[in-house]
Amino acid sequence: MNPNDSDASRFRSATADRRGERDLDDLLVHVARGDQGAFETLYDRMVGPVYGVIRKVLRDPSQSEEVAQEVLLEVWRTAARFDPAMGGAATWVTTIAHRRAIDRIRSTTAAADREHRTADVSPPHDEVAEAVEASLDRERVRRCLEGLTEVQRESITLAYYGGNSYRQVAELLNVTLGAIKTRIRDGLIRMRDCLGVS
Amino acid sequence: MRFFRQDLHTLTGAYALDALDSASEISRFNRHLSRCQSCASEVRGFREVATAMAFAATAEAPAAMRERVMTAAARTRQLPPEIRTHARPRRTGRSAPWIPWLSGAIATAAIAVAVFFGFAQSHTQSELNQARSQNRALASAQARVEAELTQAKEHDQALAQILGAPHVTLLSHSTTKGGVAVVVLDAATRKLVVATSGLPALPAGKVYQLWLIGPVKIVSVGLLPTAQAGVTTPVVAAGIVKGDKLGLTVEPAGGSKQPTTTPIVALPLPV
Repeated sequence: MNPNDSDASRFRSATADRRGERDLDDLLVHVARGDQGAFETLYDRMVGPVYGVIRKVLRDPSQSEEVAQEVLLEVWRTAARFDPAMGGAATWVTTIAHRRAIDRIRSTTAAADREHRTADVSPPHDEVAEAVEASLDRERVRRCLEGLTEVQRESITLAYYGGNSYRQVAELLNVTLGAIKTRIRDGLIRMRDCLGVS
Repeated sequence: MRFFRQDLHTLTGAYALDALDSASEISRFNRHLSRCQSCASEVRGFREVATAMAFAATAEAPAAMRERVMTAAARTRQLPPEIRTHARPRRTGRSAPWIPWLSGAIATAAIAVAVFFGFAQSHTQSELNQARSQNRALASAQARVEAELTQAKEHDQALAQILGAPHVTLLSHSTTKGGVAVVVLDAATRKLVVATSGLPALPAGKVYQLWLIGPVKIVSVGLLPTAQAGVTTPVVAAGIVKGDKLGLTVEPAGGSKQPTTTPIVALPLPV
């Protein structure tokens, strides 16, 4: 790596470029023009993370499949609205996926059984353990999660993988709302720095 | 429930993880984001972390899903692109009070130079924000911009003056044809430098032409140079008046006296 590279560009090259995000941006531009071949390629590149993150949040395989299909179709339908200035294509697609999964639990979970659902979430350490695989992404994320304090790690995994709102996370960890907001934010800052310096 | 500014700012993390509680809380934070440049840049960085976490959760999807999605896509009409009459300029405001303002300007110029030299394409804003939020990046950015500025001065005095101006504003917007237009605006001298990245190549006999589109008159800035590896060399425009937008249209070879097609991008210029 060029020693003159700023930390900022190193961060980008370490995350987005490694996933070939620029290619993905291009693919999405072609998808927006109705190119079905480009959509097939984009599908093959993104279906794993899309289905994976939805499955992580929803747990139920058939429900996850249903939501993943909706997400991928939404990518096809709204590709022209993708704005590369706002972030890369991979971020755009995975953000839609995670949001749809969250929409699903927030809309289908009545206030009454919300307690029940949040109580079902496995301990975050299992989430970390599950992630131990050969994949470089998994390895790096796992390593960076391990570099957080326990409360930061639990807050982030309960929120992102567990699909809990920060209020629910505060309830689960028995800390104040103010503390949870800060811990999620501080944890993400550390994650960002950690993922940036590979 | 009342939120104070500080409370809202610390919600960047929860927001980026889709962990706000209600639609009203999300829309309240969205409103805050549109006013808070440092929050928006922080959210973008956090979304990158979330993306890495999504990739780390990669799982094998049921094979039958692919055919179902493809069949559905073939039957689904795509949304047209949004035609924005008011482009959303991204001002490089002084919203990060903990970073000396001058450093921000240097980072801005560093990124602008990086764009022109083809180091960056569509990630200017995130690079800029990263650079601004990471103080330690500034040292190397500063060294680089000084070196690049010296080089640029030899090439083009006007360009260097604008890039070196203490008060520049970086604006960027994607065009309706794809690609991005990046503008470094020096409001004090009413000059700007514009470059583009990733614009589609035009058929023979067509060119891109730049305009200052004002409320009273439209002035040609000139033709956009042919792109080298997707990036066009910078073009300088002077004499910007209040209300001007920087427009880009497709014109017949040689250019036109007035635009003959709808602009593919129209960036308001805050002077």
